[in-house]
Amino acid sequence: MKIRFFSSSKEKARLIFIGLFLLSILAIPAIAQDSDGKTTKIDSAAMKSLLAAKGKPLLVNFWATWCDPCREEFPDLVIIDKEFAEQIDFVIISLDDPADIDTAVPSFLKEMKATMPSYLLSTPDEDEAINWVSSNWGGALPFTILYDKDGSVAFSRLGKVNAARLRQEISKILSVDK
Amino acid sequence: MFKNSLFSLLLMTAFMVLGASSASAQMQEFPVGNVIEDFKLKDINGKEHSFNSLHGKNGTVLIFLSAQCPVVKMYDERVNKLAAEYAAKGINFVGINSNSTEGLDWVKSHAEANYKFPMLIDPENKIADKLGALVTPEVYYFDTNNKLLYHGAIDNDRSGKNIKDNYLRVAFDSTLAGGKIERTKANAFGCTIKRVGME
Repeated sequence: MKIRFFSSSKEKARLIFIGLFLLSILAIPAIAQDSDGKTTKIDSAAMKSLLAAKGKPLLVNFWATWCDPCREEFPDLVIIDKEFAEQIDFVIISLDDPADIDTAVPSFLKEMKATMPSYLLSTPDEDEAINWVSSNWGGALPFTILYDKDGSVAFSRLGKVNAARLRQEISKILSVDK
Repeated sequence: MFKNSLFSLLLMTAFMVLGASSASAQMQEFPVGNVIEDFKLKDINGKEHSFNSLHGKNGTVLIFLSAQCPVVKMYDERVNKLAAEYAAKGINFVGINSNSTEGLDWVKSHAEANYKFPMLIDPENKIADKLGALVTPEVYYFDTNNKLLYHGAIDNDRSGKNIKDNYLRVAFDSTLAGGKIERTKANAFGCTIKRVGME
């Protein structure tokens, strides 16, 4: 018995159109990921676990809504996140007041259309947290640090990042990992 | 002609390299135990002061501040209380603003509204560079010979709600009691000092 899938070329075209339509619906969430600015509060121990090596390069940006240079560099970071989304992990850690976790922080992230995982560090011992992250860091914001896949510091920058330099540093560790 | 141009290029490169290394050398941390030479700066009213002329009989705190930094604002009340309490014990507070982005009028009105101690203006961030100061608020506590005794945060908590370590107060009390300061340095999150020509 011969099974006929398509009775006519018209029907074939219609089925292809429906298929493409369904595919496009399924693909939307992946392509246009909305930024809800949702931010998770973490303590120092959770931050250490978050920053531990997981076999993939990791970019971390410490920032705050009250920090002007942080706000200024943010559009570049959002672009870099999209450019390297498949190759590196990128998390942002806010040093805002915990009271701002559902207000100022998500509001800014939404405005920036930032979709990287967002955390707010709340610790009773800021000195300990700063020293753990890097001996090159005195607590000034912004601070950006790039770890290679093994968790070694590949690059760090106190103050606004130069987007071209950051791209170069990311590409450098990605080429080593190949 | 070519040789001259090449020579000029090499000379310029050498100057650029030396300039860059000297700039980074200026940003080196000023270690506890080091002595800062006396310096002169104008206050918010244009009056020049030497650092030595502002000394307390038991020490001096140089505190880097900002007129706009929210972290500084969180500390304003605590700083004033601490300054008043320890001025009575011979330790003077001296504010310093090294932010090139903050105009004199702005700094003056903020200082007059918030602080009861003098506020110096560091227009080319020379003192910030000399001490390697990076954030506001950031304190440097000197003895009467200008030897650095403590550097860093005032306490462990910006919000003031969960203060467990009063770093600066403990440093004061230790020296006033004739003892040794156990913790001579503590970092804290704060606003970056906006230096002249900073990116």
